[in-house]
Amino acid sequence: MTLMAGLATLAGSAALYPLFESTNWFWTGLGAVASVAAGGLVFRRLRLPAPLGPAGGLGALVVYLTVVYARDYAFLWFVPTPGSVRHLSDLAAEGQDAVGRYAAPVPLVPGIGLLVAAGVGVVATLVDLLAVGLRRAAPAGLPLLAMYSVPAAVRDDGVGWLAFGAGAAGFLALLMADAREHVGGWGRTVDTRRRLDEVPMAGAGAAREEGAARPDAGSLAASGRRIGVGAVAVAVLLPMAIPGVHPRLFDLHGTGGTQTVTTPDPLVSLKRELTRMDDSVVLTYQSDDPAGPDYLRLYALDRFDGDRWTYTALKSSVNDRLSGGDIPAPPGLRIAPRREVVTRVRVRQEVRNMTFLPVPYAPARVSIKGDWRVHPASLMVYSLRDSASGRTYTVRSVRAQPTPADLEAGSGYPYPAEIASRYLGVPRSVPQEVKNLARKVTDGAASAHERAVRLQHWFTQAGQYVYDLSEPAPQHGSDLVDFLLHSKRGYCEQFAAAMALLARIVGIPSRVAMGYTPGTETGQGEWTVRSRDAHAWPELYFEGSGWVRFEPTPSGSAGQGTATTPVYSQPAAPGAGQRPESSAGSSSGPSPREEESETDGAGPRHRQDDEGPQSAPLPPAEEEKRSWAVPWLAGGVLVLALLAVPMVLRVLTRRRRWAVLAVRTAPSAGPAGDTGPAADDRARGPRPSADPAGAAHAAWRELRADALDHGLHWLPSDTPRAAARRLGQLVDLDEEGERALARIARAEELARYSGSLPPAPAERLRADVRTVREAFAASVGRRARWRARLLPPSTMAEARGTLRSAGGRAAELSERLNELPRRMRRR
Amino acid sequence: MAVGTHGESFMEADPPAPRRPSPSGGDGRPGPGRGLDGLAQVANKIRDAVASVIEGKPEVVRLALTVLLAEGHLLIEDVPGVGKTMLAKALARSVDCSVRRVQFTPDLLPSDITGVSAYNQEMREFEFKPGPVFANIVVGDEINRASPKTQSALLECMEERQVTVDGTTYGLERPFMVIATQNPVEMEGTYPLPEAQRDRFTARISMGYPDPAAELEMLDAHGQASPLDRLSPVANAGDVRDLIEVVRAQHVAQSVRQYAIELVTATRGHPELRLGASPRATLHLVRAARAYAALDDRDYVVPDDVQDLAVPVLAHRLLPTAEAQVERRRPEQVVTELVHRLPVPSPRK
Repeated sequence: MTLMAGLATLAGSAALYPLFESTNWFWTGLGAVASVAAGGLVFRRLRLPAPLGPAGGLGALVVYLTVVYARDYAFLWFVPTPGSVRHLSDLAAEGQDAVGRYAAPVPLVPGIGLLVAAGVGVVATLVDLLAVGLRRAAPAGLPLLAMYSVPAAVRDDGVGWLAFGAGAAGFLALLMADAREHVGGWGRTVDTRRRLDEVPMAGAGAAREEGAARPDAGSLAASGRRIGVGAVAVAVLLPMAIPGVHPRLFDLHGTGGTQTVTTPDPLVSLKRELTRMDDSVVLTYQSDDPAGPDYLRLYALDRFDGDRWTYTALKSSVNDRLSGGDIPAPPGLRIAPRREVVTRVRVRQEVRNMTFLPVPYAPARVSIKGDWRVHPASLMVYSLRDSASGRTYTVRSVRAQPTPADLEAGSGYPYPAEIASRYLGVPRSVPQEVKNLARKVTDGAASAHERAVRLQHWFTQAGQYVYDLSEPAPQHGSDLVDFLLHSKRGYCEQFAAAMALLARIVGIPSRVAMGYTPGTETGQGEWTVRSRDAHAWPELYFEGSGWVRFEPTPSGSAGQGTATTPVYSQPAAPGAGQRPESSAGSSSGPSPREEESETDGAGPRHRQDDEGPQSAPLPPAEEEKRSWAVPWLAGGVLVLALLAVPMVLRVLTRRRRWAVLAVRTAPSAGPAGDTGPAADDRARGPRPSADPAGAAHAAWRELRADALDHGLHWLPSDTPRAAARRLGQLVDLDEEGERALARIARAEELARYSGSLPPAPAERLRADVRTVREAFAASVGRRARWRARLLPPSTMAEARGTLRSAGGRAAELSERLNELPRRMRRR
Repeated sequence: MAVGTHGESFMEADPPAPRRPSPSGGDGRPGPGRGLDGLAQVANKIRDAVASVIEGKPEVVRLALTVLLAEGHLLIEDVPGVGKTMLAKALARSVDCSVRRVQFTPDLLPSDITGVSAYNQEMREFEFKPGPVFANIVVGDEINRASPKTQSALLECMEERQVTVDGTTYGLERPFMVIATQNPVEMEGTYPLPEAQRDRFTARISMGYPDPAAELEMLDAHGQASPLDRLSPVANAGDVRDLIEVVRAQHVAQSVRQYAIELVTATRGHPELRLGASPRATLHLVRAARAYAALDDRDYVVPDDVQDLAVPVLAHRLLPTAEAQVERRRPEQVVTELVHRLPVPSPRK
């Protein structure tokens, strides 16, 4: 049993595999489990009370940790001393640190190893205590589940099926060992197949495992194992059959599963690059683009968490490999004219840790050695293990060249759902002033394109922002707000981040791209990119044109030196756009002044405009509030509904019973009503209703259900009169009630057995049933009365009966399945 | 067993069946012989007559009457002195019919029962002298004292209602009922009835001791003269034949028959029984249930009848296994348990 508990813990710990880079952690965990098991075993051998078992396990765990991690500080290598304990706690703190620093999978530094060993050891102690000490194998699954949930919570893609299978099998084995020991204590096993319906449903699996103990129950054991294996297999395979759940079972062709890509923070490195004193060459490239090359993009940051822009963790799988194949087409690019560009890039040897490839957007085919992958949504090209340093590669890319008209045309269309859901989110922490600013800047703009142009103009011209590399990198949302509203000083990061945010506020999907500007041309089609050319810029999405670059950062000597403003992002020339009244202002800037149009167009377009920007940012906030309340409300309603189910079922059953009767008796209801008093007076009764037997049966079933509801016993061997007699003894009935009861029983008896005598009229029976029910209610306690009303046991009994028959059928099926192999063998 | 009394209280409450006038009260005189009401009249009279002799045992009396109406035979088994013979005689005397009494002894011969062919010197031929079985009611006292040979002489009479002597078959009278008594205590010098013989008895009842009040009453009654002497017949053989016809026409619902079959079948597979009840037992059970229902003034049989009769009709036919005997399990207990366990037939939904 101890062994099984240990094995189960170990199997469960297999689920931890995605958290670590190497597999050494397993041996660490194994040692911890073994030491705990040994400690528990020793304590049990010494016949110490059961609650001391975990103490033994924990003691052994501490000794084990000391030996492994603090040997040099301990007395005789294993006796913990204050020094060793201090060392262990230092190590633990270190591990804590490391855990905070790394995303999974983490390298197995000693600190983390210590934490893992301690955690696995504690789980093993708990499992040991529950399963061995307290003989409760089933609850031992809880600590196992807790351990299992760690990787499931940390990793978005969950835990692989193999690890799940191992954990489940371990737990099942633990249950089996427990059941075997239980049964072993009772001697000869009894064939339970005949009485399967008496086996409690929940414990059915375990109960069937019991057979494993004895050779004479071999087939039972086999069926138990089959059921166990089958259940695990179903759990693994079933999700594939369910639409909406995407199992990753067959994604893996050989190695690994999916892996989340972790890299140093791109924004941190941006600042470092920009401020490097040496301004070294990063890469050189040749481009055949006649209009001059586009920016080289490294990252696309799609998520704004309220403080900074980051990218959603990449889920990398082998399918994303470049391997010479075509890269998925850029999203949304359909109508804008495009041109194919071939770029040959050579990255300098000195560049370190460049795991993302600088490529012009949108890459269509990248030829490079090594394991490089592409992220299908953002078209980032990256590697999990290779670096671009010193490599030469060729990129064939599609360069979209949208005209302002294209962008205008795309503005009218709704965004695809995956774009809208991913690139429009604005955190609630964004202050209202920022939203107001965004609305003020784009006030009067008719289309998304126009709003985008206005935003860019605001940053480059109207807002009077100053490019200043000495500003610290923004760390928090407040820094960004400060940049936007007050200081107005920053460098490309602030500009790009702010514009992307404002774009989202006014309802344009946006993300922040990072990479390099084209650099400087050093020869015919030869370009050199230096570290100072590192840059960040916003990309905005327009239907039909896809992701389009904007440039809010001032360029030239007073800004990012090599940045260029795209043609389409410049305000429309007179006559070209829809705003002929806005005359081209100063010729010094690339864009005309906008202040006029702000006042000009305000009147007529105000309404239209309001809707644009407001409808975009407000719904998420509202929705969030609602979505916060909805689960609680729904949960409450659900709980109430569930609680009400038995009651409703009872009422429905009652209705149904009497309804059958009402329909059937309808034709004869008239005469029965006419001569009703006569019937009561025991004269020659009226012709009874069409289906008197049905009425009697209905009344009888009702009576039975009422009796059950009020906790009165009902034996299957009771005949109607016997039942009535017994109820009469159990319940204090007045004369009227007694008579009603007798009438119901008599009617049922006649209907069942006489075959010729017509029983009492249905209406009378119904009234009788009510009388008796009231008598029942009056004679039982208040608790029973309320239970009869709210949780009528009769419906439960019905449900139980249904379940039992289903269980019986399942047992039959399993028996047949059991015989299948034998039959096949015979053949 | 309070079924009888309850059955009556039961009837009070419900509206009468429109087909017939109220049977309760008993002052109406529709004349014996026709239909259920006549049956109730006659049966009540017989019952009252017997009950005037056997105090405090209405159930026993009712069972005895049931067996009479079911054309069965009755085995009364009890310790000496509780009124076995008295019951048999009272029943026999209440009905104005031929009654014979046979005291079974070890030296009793089969011909002593069935009759004998004697040579008639005058006629110069063999003449059949009918034995005591040629009567409507035959009271066999201490039947287990006779040899098996003599006991089995009763076999043919009881089942086939005929006697074959010297190749000639003589039919017996109708109604024909054997009331046998036996004493389970004095086992020395007795021959327990073979299974085949027991199976022919419709029911076995035991008298049981009377309660103190009944016993006191009995003392008073027996003080002056034997109450048996005061008993005058209240019905004749023709009445009983009519009653039997009425009983035969009783309605037994399909579900009740099924129930009887299930009950009997359950005894056959019971782990504590070496021998279960025979198909004849089923027959007897349903027949007795008909009579029982008729005595309850019903023209249909309910499972209650079957339940009430299960022990008297079935128990004496069952043989417990050796283990059950060691555990002192009696067939009566087994049957009672079966009755409590078996669900009664109810209409399907």
